[in-house]
Amino acid sequence: MPISVMIVDDSAVMRGFIRRVLTLAGFEVSECLEASNGEEALAGLEGHSVDVILTDINMPKMNGEELLRRLERDARLRSVPTLVISTDATKARILKMLSLGAQGYITKPFSPEALREELERVLGEKNA
Amino acid sequence: MPEQLQPAPRTDEVAGFGAVVVRVAAQVLETMFFEEAVASACEHAWLPTAVTVHVSFEGSHRGEFLLSVSPDTARTVAAGFLGLEPEELTGTQASEVILELANILCGALMSTLWPESALSLETPELAIAEHAFLGGMHCCFTLPDGMVAVSIGVSSGDGSSGDGSA
Repeated sequence: MPISVMIVDDSAVMRGFIRRVLTLAGFEVSECLEASNGEEALAGLEGHSVDVILTDINMPKMNGEELLRRLERDARLRSVPTLVISTDATKARILKMLSLGAQGYITKPFSPEALREELERVLGEKNA
Repeated sequence: MPEQLQPAPRTDEVAGFGAVVVRVAAQVLETMFFEEAVASACEHAWLPTAVTVHVSFEGSHRGEFLLSVSPDTARTVAAGFLGLEPEELTGTQASEVILELANILCGALMSTLWPESALSLETPELAIAEHAFLGGMHCCFTLPDGMVAVSIGVSSGDGSSGDGSA
């Protein structure tokens, strides 16, 4: 089934890598929105609906933590599952992001298979 | 630019650090950059021409991380990451990918070395070659097209630090 995604990362090459890995993982991406920080993501999601948001944590202007808080306060966007993709694999950080509303967390480095597994779990919970 | 750190070596930490760096660097390069990295003896004649990235970190541990990649390897690694041929890459793309590699590698090393800690990484920055070797904990790797060097200097935190090569 095709999916629509919002990729939020301040690194353009990382956004390109995630786009490519989604395809390598076997996902058919019908629409791929991109943003370099939380502010841009919220602006891009105005009037748009996506199946899942993939977000980094450390970004300028609005980081991933604040983005999750804003999404939780938005009645329309609250139901969109969010998967955090970060280099930070510390327990404290993972628990913090999950407590803020993230449905999944994947640490870099990750393989296409690892992304598919976590994304399918997140999307499965949404559809359950 | 990074100051020269003067860590006090401890043999058990050196061995542990070396093993972690070898494992994590190989995993990062193979998983996301599609390159096979093999730990090798240190030989630093290539460092003046390297693409070097500096990352500061602070929190429960404070210090600096340096990644140096030989020029041909930088292009190959960037091409593998972006799914392009090396000749299709722009210089900016190659630099951005090496910055991202440094970010991923530093984060993975910190999380593995100190999994219970809370650390924040500064934004990676390109550094000049003369600072490519911190004189602290250090490992070199051979890739098919060249070399990669990783250095970490810990200046404070839990009171321990190490030095050595793997």
